[in-house]
Amino acid sequence: MPVVQVKNVTKNYEDHGQVVTQALRGVDLNVERGEFMAIAGPSGSGKTTLLNLLGALDTPTSGSVLIDGRDLAGMTSRQLADLRRDRIGFVFQAYNLVPVLTAAENAEYVMQLKKVPAAERRKKVAELFAKLGLSALIDSRPPKMSGGQQQRVAVARAIVAEPAVVLADEPTANLDQATGRSLIEMMRGLNRERGVTFIFSTHDPMVLEQADRVVRLVDGKIASDQRQ
Amino acid sequence: MTMLFAIFRTAWRNLWRNYRRTLINMSAVGIGLFLVIVYNGLVAGIMGDAKNQLGPSGMGHVEIYAPEWRVKHNASLSLADPAALLARLNVPEGSRVDARIVSRGLATTAHGSQGVQIHGIDPATEPLVANYARDIRQGAALSAEDLHGILIGDTLAERLEVRLGQKIRLMVQRADGEMGADLFRVRGIFHSISPHLSRGLVLITNRAARELLGVGDVAHQIIIQLNRADAADAVAATLKASLGPGFDVVTYGELMPILKSMEGLVNSISAVMEIFVYLLVGLGIMNTMLMSVLERTREFGVLRALGTRSRQIVGEILAEAFWIATISVLVGSTLGLLLIWTGSHHALIDMSKSMGEGMEIGGSVLKTTFRTEFALLPAIQAAVMVYVLTLLVGLYPAWRVTKVQPAVALRAV
Repeated sequence: MPVVQVKNVTKNYEDHGQVVTQALRGVDLNVERGEFMAIAGPSGSGKTTLLNLLGALDTPTSGSVLIDGRDLAGMTSRQLADLRRDRIGFVFQAYNLVPVLTAAENAEYVMQLKKVPAAERRKKVAELFAKLGLSALIDSRPPKMSGGQQQRVAVARAIVAEPAVVLADEPTANLDQATGRSLIEMMRGLNRERGVTFIFSTHDPMVLEQADRVVRLVDGKIASDQRQ
Repeated sequence: MTMLFAIFRTAWRNLWRNYRRTLINMSAVGIGLFLVIVYNGLVAGIMGDAKNQLGPSGMGHVEIYAPEWRVKHNASLSLADPAALLARLNVPEGSRVDARIVSRGLATTAHGSQGVQIHGIDPATEPLVANYARDIRQGAALSAEDLHGILIGDTLAERLEVRLGQKIRLMVQRADGEMGADLFRVRGIFHSISPHLSRGLVLITNRAARELLGVGDVAHQIIIQLNRADAADAVAATLKASLGPGFDVVTYGELMPILKSMEGLVNSISAVMEIFVYLLVGLGIMNTMLMSVLERTREFGVLRALGTRSRQIVGEILAEAFWIATISVLVGSTLGLLLIWTGSHHALIDMSKSMGEGMEIGGSVLKTTFRTEFALLPAIQAAVMVYVLTLLVGLYPAWRVTKVQPAVALRAV
């Protein structure tokens, strides 16, 4: 079963009952487990909207979105929150670490929401940080880290709780090329070694180059869907 | 428990992201609480003095008269066998009781005359209920057998130009309706913080008063001073029931209705002031918390994207309010209690230079050096109120931020 299923999804944004924007128009998409996929397209094409739907941050106007077999339709906000906690990891464009928490505490955050025992959390984070070269940052807080370091911690946070899919919205947008490349290679490594499913929303040609599959959106529709 | 600890730990750290704002917020809350505690302590002290401490006026929280005496002031309207009556009185332990013969009269000397209130007293018990009876600045107190000794106030002494050892003539209307008069020698000059008493009250022994007025073993006034004025109504009711209809039992509230009204007015002002302070504090906290929370809209959006439930977000914001309340209450109440404790031992406000030692209000005498009353319960109540208020006002910012959809929150700057 695909980890993500999007069936004839439309998403309209309304203002006082009038449709202002049709962000997505009849999108169909299946993402298999272990894919390293990019969603590309010009500004206003619907990339962020699609990513929000895949991340259960929003619900479609029509059609259905299934994450790991669970249909978002009819879910309460609490159920959506639980789904995100249990099934989805996020890496945002602006690193979005909690500035008052240490790198380790940030990485442990979702596991803490899932009530994973403290000892187990620390062990998992320590192991992952060691793998990602972040051990020296365990007790550091985000303001003391570089952009690249923060983004790596964000990736660690996204995957340490073992989600079904990791959604990354323009993860390299605020990084220099070398740092961005290093980040994508790290995520590629995680994808290959651990089978973590990554879905990127990106303009970055370097990310597109690394992706196994590129879905291009134009005006809210899938213009092309190519495996590389 | 771990999650709860994490919430409070994160909330504590979040407070200090903008330490200036947090300190200002805490100061506002703490100062508000401090003001409420000190104001209440001061008011309780002033009003407490006014009603609990009747020594300066020599009045009672409960007084007993013969029926109609308070209207007619006729010497024949008296209470028989005052000693037996005093023994019958069912009053709280620690109360002070006294019996007096009371008459109006005229005090004259070669240099002038003055209408006076004459108290025929028991020199042993009168000082227990009347401060002036023990504040004898010149001369000495009366002895029980003294039939011609008199104590007068310092203002009266000046007015009549009379010194220790000199004579004063007292004229009264006797019980039989005839005029009575006698000469008395000034044994002592007392001081009262009440200008009225200092000018218009003279003390002679009750034996001397009986002879002057032509009455037997009677009293015109029984006064009962309680440790707490609040007990007056209950004590009066008990006495009315036990003594029966032949006695006029009144409370200080009935004798000094202005004082009662003043008490009510002061309590109302206190309540309004407290509400005002709480309102200001609450609005201030809400404004600051709203700013702090709305600044972090995106951050909360991220937390919700990660799977944090709305109630956990609310919990985090309320935890911040909890810390603000805790520190503010600790500091504000400590400082407030310290000040009212100090003020209960040393006058906090001294207006004696401009207003004299005492001021008369509605029959009571208020000292013009104001002390606070130290009491923990009102301070605890105020602290709890501030705590509850701080948490309540934290609810609105918390609610606001959870109403923003995560996708929208993530787009916030």
